[in-house]
Amino acid sequence: MPASNPAPAPEVAEVSAPARLAAAIDAVAATDPDRVAIVTAAGLGTDLRRAVSYGTLAGDVAALERRLADSRPIGVVARASGLAPLIALVAACGRQRVPLALVAEDSRDLVGELRDWSVCGNDLEVSRPPQGRTRREFDSSSPQIVVATSGTSGPPKLVEHSWDSLLAAARLAEQWHGRGWILVYDATRWAGTQVWLQAILTGGRVIVPASRDPDCVARAAADENVTILPATPTLLRRVIASADSDAVGRMSLDRITLGGEAADGQLLQQARALFPAARVTHVYATTELGEVFRVSDGLPGFPAEWLGRPLPGGAKLSTRRDGELLVQLSRDTAEVATGDVVERRGDRYEFAGRRSDTIVVGGAKVFPRRVEDVLRAVPGVADARAYGLPNAITGEIVAAQIVVTDPLPDGVTPESLRGAALAACRGALEPHSVPRVLDFTRKLFTNPSGKVSRRPVGQ
Amino acid sequence: MTAINGGARDVAATVREAILAVYRDTGRPPRETPAASLLGSDLGLDSLDLAQIIVLLERSLGVDPFRDARATTPHPPIRTVDHLVTLYSDALSGRS
Repeated sequence: MPASNPAPAPEVAEVSAPARLAAAIDAVAATDPDRVAIVTAAGLGTDLRRAVSYGTLAGDVAALERRLADSRPIGVVARASGLAPLIALVAACGRQRVPLALVAEDSRDLVGELRDWSVCGNDLEVSRPPQGRTRREFDSSSPQIVVATSGTSGPPKLVEHSWDSLLAAARLAEQWHGRGWILVYDATRWAGTQVWLQAILTGGRVIVPASRDPDCVARAAADENVTILPATPTLLRRVIASADSDAVGRMSLDRITLGGEAADGQLLQQARALFPAARVTHVYATTELGEVFRVSDGLPGFPAEWLGRPLPGGAKLSTRRDGELLVQLSRDTAEVATGDVVERRGDRYEFAGRRSDTIVVGGAKVFPRRVEDVLRAVPGVADARAYGLPNAITGEIVAAQIVVTDPLPDGVTPESLRGAALAACRGALEPHSVPRVLDFTRKLFTNPSGKVSRRPVGQ
Repeated sequence: MTAINGGARDVAATVREAILAVYRDTGRPPRETPAASLLGSDLGLDSLDLAQIIVLLERSLGVDPFRDARATTPHPPIRTVDHLVTLYSDALSGRS
């Protein structure tokens, strides 16, 4: 294991935002060039594992900067599938002030909008600008970073960000230096950029497991001394429910950062029980808004008193009459509808679900999250998802899939579990919210962002 | 919801099994389902129950006459067990 001797240069925070990533890489490369920056294909114990040092990364950044200065593209679309070339490209484009588009594999059809831009892949070659069009430096009005949304609600679309917003949530204080971070998100999506930027800006290591399989994630985290796990609640639930218990036992997490979906109280409790040394934080962020707030008190949702008053980051929360959460990032920006519906429960607001996930049964609304929470609390249920199934009589009916724990608790059979799950729903939910279709499945389908898909099966 | 015998084309038996599955899934005791019994007042089935029965029958018989017929002719009112059996039998024969 590399020594995690914290040595990032204090001046990194003072470099202008676009040049900050490259400066951070250079600072470690100058003093500790062999320090590992990136490990890929981790968690399998095979020789596919590859480590890239800060020295190598800094060399790649410098080479790319020369190419960018030479070809002067209008912008660059990142096509690199490898994390090391991607990070080098982001760092080089930033310091050279070249606009950059991070476009995930499944959003490639969006790049038509960027047809005048050059392309850069794993070989770090920058294609010649089409029709010889070259650029001026970016200014405050041109896009600096273009990211594709995850498509949780509707088709993915391109969103423009500035370097300031990209780096806004990064924590540079010493306690964050030289840590091991596991990257289970797509590195080109907002959530993924936040993880590797944070790691590299603070001289840490980014560990990429060979797959999102829970065993592989747990082994990668244990073998590579990962201390910080940023993940979706869905992934954490899988690790807790089904990962190799030896690997889970060897994980020494001191921080779990949940995002992308709402975390329920049960998951927060399980995480605390399994990783008592870890602080569990829930981040509320969207691709459009960036990070809005984070909650670390171990309870689901957020304190009700946060509504209507400015939060530490300056954002202000309010709700529409139907409960949809509205965010105003600062006084001079417009309120943005988030698509997330919250419900008041005691002194908290809890996430009821995505507005677009709402199932309408005979005119009555059902939030699938509520159903899933009830199902997950049934002994023997490892995970669950609920969705609407079109129906000629009631418009839609509630359907659900459950993944059972392995092994099942003593005395529980699949048939008794099914009865218990439906009985729990009848006890806790309105009649129209009780699933009318309940299937067992081995694995829930997740979208490319690692969130559970609530589309009907097969769509 | 439950694996109902998918191979057999005994529609009447399949409809009965679907109704019994709904009773079981909703925590109600099973009861007799004579062909002439009224779905609502005799068997206590509401629109959600009927919605579930349609899903179960689509899974076991492979047709949903409510959806398939919607664009063409309105189906006759479905008030009894026998109406259901006839509707699904017609849908199956019309399809083959």
